[in-house]
Amino acid sequence: MFDEMYDGAKTRREYKIIEEWVARQGIEALLTKRDEAESLFRRIGITFAVYGEGGDPDRLIPFDMVPRIFGASEWERIERGSIQRADALNAFLRDIYSDREIIKAGKVPEAMITGNEAYEPVVAGYCPPLGIYSHVVGVDLVRVSADEIYVLEDNCRTPSGISYVLQNREVMSRMFPELFQSNMIRPVDGYGDMLAEAMQAVAPPMCEGEPTLALLTPGHYNSAYFEHSFLADQMGIELVEGGDLFVKDNRVYMRTTQGPERVDVLYRRIDDAFLDPRAFRPDSMLGVPGIIDAMKAGGVTIVNAPGAGVADDKAIYTYVPDMIRFYLGEEPILPNVPTWRCADDEDYKYVMAHLPELVVKEVHGSGGYGMLIGPAATQEEIATYAKRIEADPDGFIAQPTLALSTAPVLTEHGLAPRHVDLRPFVISGKTTRLIPSGLTRVALREGSLVVNSSQGGGVKDTWVLNAEASDA
Amino acid sequence: MLSRTANGLFWMSRYVERMENVARLLDAGHRMENLPQLQGAKSTEWRSIVIASGCRTTFPQPLEQASRNTVPHHLVFDDANPSSIRQCARAARENARAMRTALTSEVWDTLNQSWADLRHRRPEDTLGGRELTEFLDWVKSRGALVRGHIDATILRDEGYAFIELGKWIERADATARILDVKYHVLLPKSSDVGGGLDYLQWLQVLRAANSATAYRHLYRRTIDPEGVVDLLVLNARSPRSLVTGVQGICAALVAIGVHTGAQRATHARAVALREDLRSTGVDAIIMAGLHEWLTGFISEINALATELGAAYGFDGHEVTPGESLQ
Repeated sequence: MFDEMYDGAKTRREYKIIEEWVARQGIEALLTKRDEAESLFRRIGITFAVYGEGGDPDRLIPFDMVPRIFGASEWERIERGSIQRADALNAFLRDIYSDREIIKAGKVPEAMITGNEAYEPVVAGYCPPLGIYSHVVGVDLVRVSADEIYVLEDNCRTPSGISYVLQNREVMSRMFPELFQSNMIRPVDGYGDMLAEAMQAVAPPMCEGEPTLALLTPGHYNSAYFEHSFLADQMGIELVEGGDLFVKDNRVYMRTTQGPERVDVLYRRIDDAFLDPRAFRPDSMLGVPGIIDAMKAGGVTIVNAPGAGVADDKAIYTYVPDMIRFYLGEEPILPNVPTWRCADDEDYKYVMAHLPELVVKEVHGSGGYGMLIGPAATQEEIATYAKRIEADPDGFIAQPTLALSTAPVLTEHGLAPRHVDLRPFVISGKTTRLIPSGLTRVALREGSLVVNSSQGGGVKDTWVLNAEASDA
Repeated sequence: MLSRTANGLFWMSRYVERMENVARLLDAGHRMENLPQLQGAKSTEWRSIVIASGCRTTFPQPLEQASRNTVPHHLVFDDANPSSIRQCARAARENARAMRTALTSEVWDTLNQSWADLRHRRPEDTLGGRELTEFLDWVKSRGALVRGHIDATILRDEGYAFIELGKWIERADATARILDVKYHVLLPKSSDVGGGLDYLQWLQVLRAANSATAYRHLYRRTIDPEGVVDLLVLNARSPRSLVTGVQGICAALVAIGVHTGAQRATHARAVALREDLRSTGVDAIIMAGLHEWLTGFISEINALATELGAAYGFDGHEVTPGESLQ
């Protein structure tokens, strides 16, 4: 198993700074600081708790103070690989909502698209500005050795978690300013500007002059509301709800105290189904009637575009390496985890014969629920799960049980290794880029492989060292 | 500013002010009840409190049955009454919650804590003789705390002006209703007008408006209807008079900004109301009949609020707390 801090008894180069820091502070002092960090989170991120209703403290996602670190060259590969992936996914979306060359070429079966719940027929024939459908892509990565980093999943709809990345850094730099004074750690401040720039770059054809941006939230009862208001603040744009917006002559307006104000680019953090009751769900109270027509007429750009989800489900995932070759003519920089599709007869047979050693997931599942982790399951659990696969083979995929890398966390007994993953956020506008960091989730329970916050996962500040520091 | 934000701030502010005013009214009812009564005379002060609080339609019994046993419960705890103290606290907090980013944590924490306390409070620990006065003092102090935090921590921008607008509209409406209480409290005999009981009732009206001491300082004479009307309607030095309220509304509108035709029209209406008040005398009001004059004023204030809402894109007129959240 690969540990990101220790190579046997030796501390890996990137983590020297942590080794010194822990020795200097002492575990006892760090444990005390942990409480301080918690109260800092409550203060600057007071809304984490507030929006959890009744100030429920358990709704704070646990923060582990030991940073997770990447060296310059490690990061360079993650960065190039994530950008490549986002570019291919956008090319794929552009293609399947127009000529479907990849289907004609026999690389992806047509049923994968038309039979897909996330495919939106109303979007067919619409090409958004710059051909970008998924302006923010979250790429979930896992590491199994010094050189092996796999893509576990893509998130092309409305990936969340960036506010933790920025807040974690804020808390760390307030509590341990000395760590950042050496300028070895690349800053993450640019995210809001980067996203705003990308949104400005995709202004719709009808927009003349500087586009007006806004962020659409389902409202303050939504569990991610804090992130929505945080991002709107970072970009200095209005945080709107469906009821604040209306469509007239294919343009979108917000209701303000000075009369209607036009919105040109809308970063929506609500699901497709609730965007436009006229196009998707007549029973929905949320959403803006007519906004899809306005989008298709070039009156507004929706970020991420509706229908982008067709590129990120677990069945399409297996085709992404082919997409990279097909659209970009490149080899994937970050490989997929080998995956068996139970929809395929050969794969199905293999999966059913090897359940005790595989991880099986629902194609449409999320949040780490409904998974079978073979090596950790009882015979009975495996048998029950096998019946579910048998009943609906198309609904499942399987992967080998990966030995996820571990990173140190602070415990009562000193540093201890826990499994981690990483979600960088790739932004596509005029160019495709990302800030030098990402969301590191950590399974706080010893031995656990599930990093989801709903199941005992926490988060860490994620550092990327600059080139000089990495060579030191 | 988004109209929804303006709406939330406006109603948060109105409900805070209303919570406090309901407490004052209850306090007045409680005090009047303790006044000497002629043998066999029917007490009417609780009925007048129901009318003055605008809760005639939500009060569950016939008005004749309004009493110490029914009215405080309806005005403090009844969830079917959108103006009960509990519901005011809830609505203020819910509106604030939706506008969290437009407020400071001091303001939010105070509203949140007030609601948390009220939510768990039980009638049997609250409505007794001694407990009621203590409780009403607490409610008034919570209102004062919110206003204090607003004053000390909120940016003086458009949002602040909408908070001010809500406060002044609600306060003008409440003062008019408190004054009108006197009309609905019957004197046992017509010859008692101007008598000792009449005097005591006017004193309670002043107390409900927190203005008894101010009266003595400003008028230096015994309490009479002319003085009370002057203080609570026309005197710009009183923080609760109608003219102060309407001046506050006009100032808030200037701070918000007058941009569109509809906004100019509603601003003109507010200015006209202010000028009316400035040029009216006590005699003219008493000649017209205080009750009739007050009824006219209350409907004018409400019409103004509705028109303001239409002009700035929010719900200016009464909505139930649940509705205001959408």
